[in-house]
Amino acid sequence: MSDTHEVISAFLDDEPFDPSQLAEALSEPAGRAFLLDVLALRHVVQPQGGHQAAASEQQRRRAPLKALIAAAAVFVALAGGYFVGQRGGVAPTDAPPATRVVEAPAAWQDVPAGRIR
Amino acid sequence: MTVDPEALFVANQHRLFRYFRRAVGQTDTARDLTQDVFLRVSRTAIPKAGEAEVTGWLFSIARNLALDHHRKRLRRPNPVALVDDNSRPPTQDVDFAVNEALARLDDLDRDVFLMREMAGLGYQEIAGACGLTPDAVRSRIHRARLELRRQLAAPIATRRTIPMRHSGREP
Repeated sequence: MSDTHEVISAFLDDEPFDPSQLAEALSEPAGRAFLLDVLALRHVVQPQGGHQAAASEQQRRRAPLKALIAAAAVFVALAGGYFVGQRGGVAPTDAPPATRVVEAPAAWQDVPAGRIR
Repeated sequence: MTVDPEALFVANQHRLFRYFRRAVGQTDTARDLTQDVFLRVSRTAIPKAGEAEVTGWLFSIARNLALDHHRKRLRRPNPVALVDDNSRPPTQDVDFAVNEALARLDDLDRDVFLMREMAGLGYQEIAGACGLTPDAVRSRIHRARLELRRQLAAPIATRRTIPMRHSGREP
């Protein structure tokens, strides 16, 4: 394989190339075969799942961060609830006046503990 | 141009990982080495230069780490395989053949090729990473492709029968 096919490599790599050289290289069957082989080589070399592996790597890194954010959210909710309660979210007030007074009957007797009459 | 280390990490972690994955052939080691690059970056001043130069500088660190890893591995005895090599599924066979073919390349040719194919670097960035001129990068990539084409003729022939994309990603 001659160096004239370097222009095909440059073309595939999105690097500057001389169009007339590329046309000449692709006019030969060997040049066209080289172009297809390099494309196939690219697929063969890039491992299947490479992108997924990179993505799962990113997810793996994010997992502890998610746990930390969840823990922080729970803490903020608890602390917030505590402070709202402290500052009078439910303000303590005096007991309301009685609406009915129950009087003990006249025959009322105290019974010693543990005895039933 | 001042570069934020975190932005540099976000922009480059995946391509560094892909480069290492093929350069060392192991996913876990590739993850560790990717982390090591940024550990080194955090201890050094990032050069005030253009994007291509900074990327080249980052990958020069990566390349040194990969070379260190290879040197250490050469000093250690090879572990005995616990799995029968013949029991590998076909996709792993191809993966293994690719790693073998890459290992037979000249070190610099392999790095130049991997930075292009796995990390997607341009010739200027690769030149910066490897201390070469862009023309030398172009020649080395071409040479690596010719050699890999010869060594991986069978998987390439098989792959040519399936629809493909210019980028190399699966259709």
